[in-house]
Amino acid sequence: MTIAVMKTKAEQALTEAFEVNAAKLPGSTAVSEARRDAIGKFSASGLPHRRIEEWKYTDLRNAMKDTLAVSVDDAVKVTIADVIVALGALAHVDAHRITFVNGRYRADLSDLAGAEGIEVTPLAAALRTAPPKVAAGLTAVGAAEDAVITLNTAFMTDGAIVRIAPEASLAKPVLMVFLRAGAEGRFTAVRNVISAGEASTSTLIEAHVALPGASLEGQMNALTGLTAAKGAHVTHIKIAADFGKAVHLSNWDVTLEAHAVYRGFQYTSGQSLARNQIAVRYDGEGGKLDLSGAFLVRGTEHVDTTLVVDHAVPRCESRELFKGVLDNNGRGIFQGKIIVRPHAQKTDGKQMAQALMLSPDAEFDSKPELEIYADDVICGHGSTSAELEEDMLFYCKSRGIPDNEARALLIESFIGEALDKVEHEGVREALSTMARDWLSAAEKHK
Amino acid sequence: MLEIKNLHVKLADEDRVILKGVDLVVPKGEVHAIMGPNGSGKSTLSYVIAGRDGYEVTEGDILWNGESVLGMEPDERAAKGVFLAFQYPMEIPGVAGLTFLRTALNALRKKRGEDEMNTAAFMKLVKEKGAKLNIDVEMLKRPVNVGFSGGEKKRSEILQMAMLEPTLCVLDETDSGLDIDALRVVSEGVNALRSKDRAFLVITHYQRLLNHIVPDKVHVLANGRIQKTGGKELALELEKLGYAGFTGKAA
Repeated sequence: MTIAVMKTKAEQALTEAFEVNAAKLPGSTAVSEARRDAIGKFSASGLPHRRIEEWKYTDLRNAMKDTLAVSVDDAVKVTIADVIVALGALAHVDAHRITFVNGRYRADLSDLAGAEGIEVTPLAAALRTAPPKVAAGLTAVGAAEDAVITLNTAFMTDGAIVRIAPEASLAKPVLMVFLRAGAEGRFTAVRNVISAGEASTSTLIEAHVALPGASLEGQMNALTGLTAAKGAHVTHIKIAADFGKAVHLSNWDVTLEAHAVYRGFQYTSGQSLARNQIAVRYDGEGGKLDLSGAFLVRGTEHVDTTLVVDHAVPRCESRELFKGVLDNNGRGIFQGKIIVRPHAQKTDGKQMAQALMLSPDAEFDSKPELEIYADDVICGHGSTSAELEEDMLFYCKSRGIPDNEARALLIESFIGEALDKVEHEGVREALSTMARDWLSAAEKHK
Repeated sequence: MLEIKNLHVKLADEDRVILKGVDLVVPKGEVHAIMGPNGSGKSTLSYVIAGRDGYEVTEGDILWNGESVLGMEPDERAAKGVFLAFQYPMEIPGVAGLTFLRTALNALRKKRGEDEMNTAAFMKLVKEKGAKLNIDVEMLKRPVNVGFSGGEKKRSEILQMAMLEPTLCVLDETDSGLDIDALRVVSEGVNALRSKDRAFLVITHYQRLLNHIVPDKVHVLANGRIQKTGGKELALELEKLGYAGFTGKAA
């Protein structure tokens, strides 16, 4: 028996929007076909909902009842000064910069001068001109059956293709700025495809930010595919800081070849809804993964972090640390799945998720899952949720620090442990500033 | 002058009464030791002076310089000069020692109507005071007390005291967990702060600390009351005879 599921308004609108805009979306015939195939899959599945196990805590069908106009070719006037304002503390980070406004590459706001050992090209151009085989690679990033990824394939307008040359050691990070601007809220899909060559060293930063004064609404669907070749050292950071009713749907799809070292970090705050999915797969022995993140929620904001780390080969290491601060009716979700395949002996995996609850009405759901099919492995996970410790507060106050300052200090210290995972000093300091600003905004809230 | 008058304290959540009428006066310029068996209420007394939650004063008062501190928040007491060196100093992961010290110092200065201290002046002061306690600035770049040995924690407490310059210093079992060398360093740190404007209340179970920090008076606290007061020789007497005579049972 098949049950015909009623399509929601948003699902219907997205399917229709594809038909209307298909001709305007960049790409060769092969790309168009891949897009059509993807929207077909999406139409069949619809938006994920709570009866799908992985989406139990984040019912996207319910949360995204409406969809915004699809961003294809609107030109919003944005200056370099605007970009700097939107970047805030991050603007001080010395980096090669490639900027996208509402999902479109902006050469005038990008600065890649003097970048050695890397090649950065806008995705849109590649989708148009790449030979079918290359185009197929660009359209087939991530899990083909994931509804959010099918939407990304169908609607992606642009993004960065970054190639780091073998043995190159980048002096500066590559900063990919995704700016939300304009009075009209948009549904925007971007995709980055990153390949780090053998034994290269690089730092890549994705910043999803909004211009002050931009529409309160915005829906971002961002997918980054990253491959770290043999022995490559990659630091990959995503900072998503928004406001209003913004929705942020993010996917990272990471493949680590032998002895690759990958440090991933995600900072999320300000969206009404964020879902960060991260999938990491080991393709060669000796790979090392350090994945961490921080999220801050208040009001009715909702941040979901869902990881799948697939130890497909022996002798790889994974570490995860995710920390969240939850105020008011904020909600945090952590789902961390570690799979250890039958032959992946000597796997070493540890995972930790911690929430600091500032309000009795906040909610944190943590679901660690270990699927271990090998017998000679070390795997562990932990999850805590706690309030501020009264003893620590008293210690601070006994030294003369007033209650509100003491609380802020302790919250900063809690989140600081996650931020400390960011090795790049400039980025770490920018993140500390952002977290501190978030806290002082809370003071004004009261 | 510290004046504790007929102080009765019970636990806030339980009926258990801990202090049953403590009377004590510590004039400025003096060091008084409080000795007593385990469970006699020594730590409770120190916490109640500093203003920790969880205790209820049912009778009596604590006056510092003639003013009752009981209605004050712990940070307000600190601004009046009250400082408690903890028996078990808290670890605060994620907050660098320097940040903590500077935040505390400037919060106190602000409350006392003074300007904030700039970074250069602060660093100079920390280096100077730290050197006397064998505390390197590198150690203070680490999170407060995290991964510190027992001795390092106690030295860091005394550094905080030296930096914040309180006028009433309460030391709760500062000697616990210290080896001989650390005990000497900590005691020298405390002795350096002795002055005519400062009162000390040194709480300890053992006499050995008092060889280094020589008190003007020794009080024996047992069964929630001061049972005996004497000079420094009382400590030696206690070391020999134990507390049995005060608890009504053999130790």
